[in-house]
Amino acid sequence: MFNAIGIWVAIGLTICVYSFLYKDNPLFKFAEHLFVGISAGYLLAIAYHTNFLPYIYYPLKSALTEGKYREFSVLIPSLMGLMLFSRFVPRYNWMVRWPFAFLMGYSAGVKIPVIMQADIYRQIQGTIQPFGDKSSLWAITNAVMIMLGVICTLIYFFFSRERKGLSGGLSEAGIIFLMIGFGASFGYTVMARISLLIGRVDFLLQNIPFINSIVSNGR
Amino acid sequence: MNRKILAIIILFFIPILPIISTAETANLRGIDTPNDNGGSIILEWEVDTEFPRIKSYRIFRSEVTIGDMKPIGNAEPGVNRYIDNKVTRGKGYYYIIQTIYNDGVVANSPMIGPVVPKAQWFDKSLLPTAGGVLIISGILIFFIYHAKSGKKLTIRRIPGLEAIDEAIGRATEMGKSILYVSGIGGIRSMATIASMNILSRISRMAAEYETPLLVPCSDPVVMNIEREIIRNAHMDAGRPDTYRQENVFFITEEQFAYAAAVDGMIIREKPAAIFYMGAFMAESLILAEVGNVSGTIQVAGTDSITQLPFFIASCDYTLMGEELYAASAYLSKDPLLLGSLKGQDIGKLIVIACIIIGVILQLLGYQWFTNLFR
Amino acid sequence: MKRQIPLIISFVCGIFMLIQFFIPHPGFISVYRGILNWARIIGVFALIIGIGTLVRLHFRRITRRSPGWFYSVVVFAGLIVTASAGIIGGTRGKLFVWIFQNINIPLDATMFSLLAFFMASAAYRAFRARTLDATLLLIAAVIVMFGRVPIGDFLWQAVAPQSWVDKVPFLPEQVAEWVMSGPNMAARRGIMIGAALGAISTSLKIILGIERSHFASSSQ
Repeated sequence: MFNAIGIWVAIGLTICVYSFLYKDNPLFKFAEHLFVGISAGYLLAIAYHTNFLPYIYYPLKSALTEGKYREFSVLIPSLMGLMLFSRFVPRYNWMVRWPFAFLMGYSAGVKIPVIMQADIYRQIQGTIQPFGDKSSLWAITNAVMIMLGVICTLIYFFFSRERKGLSGGLSEAGIIFLMIGFGASFGYTVMARISLLIGRVDFLLQNIPFINSIVSNGR
Repeated sequence: MNRKILAIIILFFIPILPIISTAETANLRGIDTPNDNGGSIILEWEVDTEFPRIKSYRIFRSEVTIGDMKPIGNAEPGVNRYIDNKVTRGKGYYYIIQTIYNDGVVANSPMIGPVVPKAQWFDKSLLPTAGGVLIISGILIFFIYHAKSGKKLTIRRIPGLEAIDEAIGRATEMGKSILYVSGIGGIRSMATIASMNILSRISRMAAEYETPLLVPCSDPVVMNIEREIIRNAHMDAGRPDTYRQENVFFITEEQFAYAAAVDGMIIREKPAAIFYMGAFMAESLILAEVGNVSGTIQVAGTDSITQLPFFIASCDYTLMGEELYAASAYLSKDPLLLGSLKGQDIGKLIVIACIIIGVILQLLGYQWFTNLFR
Repeated sequence: MKRQIPLIISFVCGIFMLIQFFIPHPGFISVYRGILNWARIIGVFALIIGIGTLVRLHFRRITRRSPGWFYSVVVFAGLIVTASAGIIGGTRGKLFVWIFQNINIPLDATMFSLLAFFMASAAYRAFRARTLDATLLLIAAVIVMFGRVPIGDFLWQAVAPQSWVDKVPFLPEQVAEWVMSGPNMAARRGIMIGAALGAISTSLKIILGIERSHFASSSQ
């Protein structure tokens, strides 16, 4: 019973969302608002169990009842969290900047070496490594093309030079590489998205009894 | 010689032979794992090719010199390395490796030790990365402060950024709102941080023109910071009275629920301009196509490579990759920030130089330069 | 003072997080983990405020009887039922799991699948644009698309002269592979490196307090 209702609910909501393709209508509005409400509720429940309980409540509890005074350290971030509410008190709303400064500073610092390694070093290495393989002309031609592509794309992103002369020509070549690259990645995802659509349509065909009977009679 | 005695002597020596040999050849060494937090010890030995009859190795460990050896792990024949991860920093450990033969004979190596795992203060394997960070940061900081000296910097036109002014102007003329979508990335995504910086410029312009700016957020931390940014922008524009905090609100972190809600806003609120700046995933096209169909002027900016083609196809202008990060500097016209753009250009020149040098060295058969970038 | 403290916090946190990457010492690692947990804890409070803004928005729509206020009731119903089912009954509770499986998953999958239609309309627009950029994009897209489906090779084998087919029976697939690993890879790398430099620059400006729209208006 519980499951049967579930399938009907899922069918109904699937149709509600697809109705948006025709135009905005009450069915889509209903599905959209339900989706927002439920996912926000879901988030709240998950945050309660995976963040609030283990990182705030249990440490404080063990500090108070078991005398693990080190756990009181969670009070510092909790205080910073509470500072976010200072916005609602005009006299103290400058306090809201402390947690922001902490969060922004922390995100900015943690990323620098990671980006250096993954997005710069690995990419340089990936571009020069293939030149070690001199066994086939094809491999070297490909490596040269990739290298030129990387250099031209980088030149495309130069900000302090007008695009004239040689750098202009190279950055034009950069645009060609960019557009082919974007097209390729567009084409690459098309099939994956179509298979998602097929998956949904299949779900409807399998589960709506009326259609299901026609489909299975036809088979 | 009596054959019986000879047979006994031979039988006696057979089991001892491998013991003597392995004890000699195993040559067990234990070293503190370099560049780690003091949580492991590496054991190495020589694989004995003379004895293909080896079934396995067994590793024993003790925390005292005599006795109390406990088995901690096994190694396959042919393997010559074992990493002991269950050690405490600063403590001494003694090891023996036991070779087990197919015929059941076992032989122990001499005991080695004490091996003391230590934590290092610098991971030497990351030296090239540290060097890169220092060089790039040094250049950027130099150009940021060099710009202070008042030397004029020319920055080329970026059409996508000029379109931002145009879009805000159009929204003002039409008396409609602007929608700003800062993506689904959290505070740890640099694209989101770049987006927040752009938001600060855009909200200031919107505040000056008194054009409402709607900011639906998908991350609660980002939402909190964006509220502050917009409040500050209104103060900078001298219009603290026009700041509406309820225009910056959280929807949900769930990617497609967020997309559905923003689509709904695009259709119902009919903003005159939409900005998509930050980190995006598959929802990019769900948003931008609906915006396109509704006839809104749309400017996107992201470094999410897989989403760029969709923004290009659906938006009027798209800031690609580095252009997203340059936007805030460009819009602010602040010389310090513009200086950083020059620094980024020098960074790119260095990268290009590294690629060219690397290719030449690689063609000449030198691998060490390539290995620096591991 | 009110202005200096956030600058100092940003600077110290940023520099610490930057250098801890290179230091394997357990002392640093435990401080790093501690800071990660701190960010998580602040996130809980941020979420409460976030949900608060959502609640306030829809509460106002209901009390003011704005057009479509009924849908705001739907938001509340979804929020309250799901959150209480999850908090009281646990994340493995029957009702919570039911809601997730029968409402969340289908809505998610259906929204995702809308992309098939949107991709078609985006491609059609690119097709009509008739600029060099759009043409290049479209040609590359078609080549890769055909190379990734069996019909591409099938068409090639049916249409091309037999001697060519014998030489390269899977040409569409091979060409697609080449476009992905050649020009596409080059463009990706170029964008990645450029964006990385931009990201490092942005990070530095935050750490050094040059970009500080998040904690100070310039008039203060």
